[in-house]
Amino acid sequence: MVMYDQKVSSHPLGRVILRMEAGGALLPDGSDNLMEVVGVLKSYGVVLDAYWRNLLYIADRQFLVFFPFFKYFNGKVSLPKLLDHWAHQRINYEFSEYCMKAMLWHGAAKLDAYLDSPAFAERAGRAIRAKIKFNPAAGLLHRLFPDFLPEWARQSCYYSVLGQFWRVMSPMFLVLSDRYDRGEIRSIPDVVAHIKDGLVAAANLPLTYAVDIRGERYELIPTEADLHFLMDAAVPYVEAVFFRSFPFMGTVSYNAQAGQISENQADFNYGALYADPLPIGGSGIPPTLLMQDMKQHLPEYLREYYLGSLRGEEDMRVQICVSFQKSMFCVTTAAILGLAPYPIDTDRPDQQRANRAYLENWMDRLMHSRLPAFN
Amino acid sequence: MLSLLVWLPILGAAVVGFWPAGAPAVWPRRIALSVASVGLALSAVLAFLYNPADGGLQFREFVPWMTSLGLSYELGIDGLSLPLLLLNAFLVWIAIFSSDENVQRPRLYYGLLLLLCGGVVGAFATQNALLFFLFYELELIPLYLLIAIWGGPRRNYAATKFLLYTAISGIMILAAFFGLAGLAGIANYSYETLAVHNLPLATQFLLLGAVLVAFGIKIPLVPFHTWLPDAHVEASTPVSLLLAGVLLKLGTYGLLRFGLGFFPEAWSAAAPWLASWAVVSVLYGCMTAIAQKDMKKMVAYSSIGHMGYILLAAAAATPLSLLGAVAQMVSHGLISGLLFLLVGVVYKKTGTRDIDVLCGLLAPERGLPFIGSLMILAVMASAGIPSMVGFVAEFIIFRASYAVFPVQTLLCILGTGLTAVYLLILINRAFFGRLPAQFANLPQVRWSERLPGLAIALLVVFLGLQPQWLVRWSEATTAALVAGRPALAGALPAQAERIDTVAVRRAHTP
Repeated sequence: MVMYDQKVSSHPLGRVILRMEAGGALLPDGSDNLMEVVGVLKSYGVVLDAYWRNLLYIADRQFLVFFPFFKYFNGKVSLPKLLDHWAHQRINYEFSEYCMKAMLWHGAAKLDAYLDSPAFAERAGRAIRAKIKFNPAAGLLHRLFPDFLPEWARQSCYYSVLGQFWRVMSPMFLVLSDRYDRGEIRSIPDVVAHIKDGLVAAANLPLTYAVDIRGERYELIPTEADLHFLMDAAVPYVEAVFFRSFPFMGTVSYNAQAGQISENQADFNYGALYADPLPIGGSGIPPTLLMQDMKQHLPEYLREYYLGSLRGEEDMRVQICVSFQKSMFCVTTAAILGLAPYPIDTDRPDQQRANRAYLENWMDRLMHSRLPAFN
Repeated sequence: MLSLLVWLPILGAAVVGFWPAGAPAVWPRRIALSVASVGLALSAVLAFLYNPADGGLQFREFVPWMTSLGLSYELGIDGLSLPLLLLNAFLVWIAIFSSDENVQRPRLYYGLLLLLCGGVVGAFATQNALLFFLFYELELIPLYLLIAIWGGPRRNYAATKFLLYTAISGIMILAAFFGLAGLAGIANYSYETLAVHNLPLATQFLLLGAVLVAFGIKIPLVPFHTWLPDAHVEASTPVSLLLAGVLLKLGTYGLLRFGLGFFPEAWSAAAPWLASWAVVSVLYGCMTAIAQKDMKKMVAYSSIGHMGYILLAAAAATPLSLLGAVAQMVSHGLISGLLFLLVGVVYKKTGTRDIDVLCGLLAPERGLPFIGSLMILAVMASAGIPSMVGFVAEFIIFRASYAVFPVQTLLCILGTGLTAVYLLILINRAFFGRLPAQFANLPQVRWSERLPGLAIALLVVFLGLQPQWLVRWSEATTAALVAGRPALAGALPAQAERIDTVAVRRAHTP
């Protein structure tokens, strides 16, 4: 029988396990790390605020709109906004859609179970019929391809679920920054605790979704679906976006024909925690879009920190990406600790053993992430 | 005006060289840059005033000097020398601008660069063989010192090798000139006088052999090339740029001016052999380049290959092929200059030129994306991709030479394919892929380091899209150069004549 020693771990990331068991985080504590994480989460909070508003706008107001030319305008179309859009003076809402598609593709167990149920099919069917009632072309399309519009409705649900998730996360990060500014956040574990408390507080918020069609309300995700913030949005989001994602052209060099991409989606590890920050800057690739957005909202202290580096302004988006990954390891720490089988500071050896095995499983998944680079 | 162009850099060199030692170190650079700027402007004015329809000498200057020796101060330019003067003025400016601002012993460094420039301008502008020899020798000394003082770890070896080779080249040039004048009984070393003689073919062969070896060293052609890779590898970037961009052109210029100009009968008889020699040089240069790991050495061997095209064109000796030769001189000057410049930036930022070590330099924000993009453009230009100057020059050469030496031309065309191979190896290994951790924090490339490359690249594309600006200066001269020359031995006369006729008609079309 292998003896369990609380002070030792033979795992290649054993030092991280021991740190977490001692109340630390995946990311080592330190003033630079803290400043980077809080600073980048502040800008992320601002960007997420724009993202969730747009996601909910698309879910609610662009439901089954076949040519959503102005879906990124949140219903406020004007010539100056259009000119700003063309001049790229705007938020890259495409990034939030990439995240939504990652969730849609990788799925969320309970949400998918509901979306596959006859209850959803019936609700979606009613909404679709109402929407295309006076649109014979769409009616014909629906008859020819009866799975197309329900699938679209399913996608709209994911728009809404991600929007609702980020609607909670955005103020959480902004409050974190305010607390840091007031001196209340002094370490990486404080950051993790703040996020964990926020996730726990919001854990049971219900996820619902309804659309208005010609004055009538159609509930696509009712409260009876029993979907909640933590398990049906936060956890699937972390799994889909932080861990799995998909190999974007321009960020990962691969040969799918040679079997370099696993056929099992569960094996994917192209998420934010694994992403190589160096390709940032390539035209249109998703990480670049997010970094571009965050660059516009950096707190002054973080901007100055970046400007003091070897390349200063030139590689700021790569630096933001590195800081962002650090911050996402804090969010992941909060999720890992929140989902641990027992409190991480338990004194009972059997619970400690269970926690150790649980943490080692996570470390196995994170072996090829950017975690070793930060430790 | 030509005298101003010749003596301005030499005077500038003196001013820089004798600048007070205690003065701020930026002044030598500023003076050198100012002199180079004035030289560039003067060259532009010269081009503006030059009449392209006149294939003869223009802007002639004559001052009797040592007439008993046959040496006169005799200047003049035609369509063969003007493009090279323009190229020289441009690349000297680029070389000075791209020199390290903190270079050691700046007065000597910039003084030597200007002296080198003056020597080259003099060699291109003179119309007296002995004066050519003096200017030809004049540029050796500064170049030797520039390699020996500011070069890499093996600079002494490289500089000495360069000096030995090119000194032999100089001696052979002088021997050829003395031999020609002595045997033909000519007391005057003016080009026009030397070109008119009735030496027997055997004697012409002997003298042409000396000229071929002399300028074969300078170009360089295989097997006289071994000094070049060493010199390039050890020379600093601006010196490499000048070496490849301008100084090698002294060799090809000499080949056309003296080999073809002074010994047309022997040239015609030897032409098939010269074309075959070109093939050997092209294929050897390209294949050796493929085997290189050092980017600079690869570009150096690439130069050997590309200079072989000029020999092929010169061997064909039709107006069109000679036009291609001049175009290729300019084209190679710009493209190889750009390549050396970019390799220099890569070396400066990464500390290595080894393509087995370099990787992923095109990474958008942490790599050298701008330099990498220019490198891709330079590589495409060097491989003869249309819309860039390399294509124009090589197309003219192949188009004209194929009619005269089809087999040799086809083999040389194979060289362009090999060029694509080794340059793609370079790009693929050094610029594509993932940037490794050791290069993940490369220093920033400043705009002052990007501008020289950008300027050359723009010219490469401009001349590729507007080739008339490349060839308009030389059409009349190249037609005149071969007017009334003997038929080539082993050539396809009917085809050669047809090409000649077409080219001459084009040259005289207003």
